[in-house]
Amino acid sequence: MIGLLETGSGFWSAIIWVITVLVIGYVVIYIRNKGEDSYKKDSEQVKPFISGNPEGSKEGSHLSASHIYWGFTEALKGYYKPLIKMHTGNINDYSSWIVTVTVIVLIIIGVS
Amino acid sequence: MKLNKYFKKSLWVFHLNTGSCNGCDIEIVAGLTPRYDLERFGIKLVGSPKHADVLLVTGPVTEKMADRVKRVYEQVPDPKAVIVVGTCGTSGGVFHNSYILRGSVDKLIPVDVYVPGCPVRPENIINGVLQAWVKLEKLRESMKAVPVE
Repeated sequence: MIGLLETGSGFWSAIIWVITVLVIGYVVIYIRNKGEDSYKKDSEQVKPFISGNPEGSKEGSHLSASHIYWGFTEALKGYYKPLIKMHTGNINDYSSWIVTVTVIVLIIIGVS
Repeated sequence: MKLNKYFKKSLWVFHLNTGSCNGCDIEIVAGLTPRYDLERFGIKLVGSPKHADVLLVTGPVTEKMADRVKRVYEQVPDPKAVIVVGTCGTSGGVFHNSYILRGSVDKLIPVDVYVPGCPVRPENIINGVLQAWVKLEKLRESMKAVPVE
């Protein structure tokens, strides 16, 4: 476990990993200690700067997945609005859509 | 090379406009242009009060800005100094009796240096910043004597 493990395509050594983690940890702690430590806890100094505005609730500032493609839906608003209206949640409406579209497709196939 | 005993580290300044007409703001920018070039002394404007040593306020405080001034002041780490640039921030200036004003800056936050003028000359702003710097270094020395909890 502690010794060197030859894998054929390299080697594995737990000791090297432990030393690496310790060195990186030391560097991280060193950099952290060089930072500003005189700020007052439980004051505005620990809150984010939002141009002087108060920090909103975490829920209010949550970014949902749909925000990622906001520009896409905004640009195609004219197309999406009627589609959203069609989504009534009523299975009878969906069935009638299937029947209607099938009829139209069959007519097109029959005519051509 | 040290210019004097107070020039120990760079001074970072956060500029806050609380309702200024932009006259003083333009003069602050003039202080950064090659003619005066404050940045050669390490004095520069920063984008967040959390990075600043000095809060530089221009303009009288409007009702909308009153809470924001206090919040931004609290977000500047200690030790800090506040400079008010311009007559409006100092006393309200020509807008002193406006219905939309809360008043001068010192009605909301403690002010260390006043730089009156309408607008202020860049030389006066530089003088004000240096006065704030001296005050800040003295404050730092006193804070070293009494460590922050």
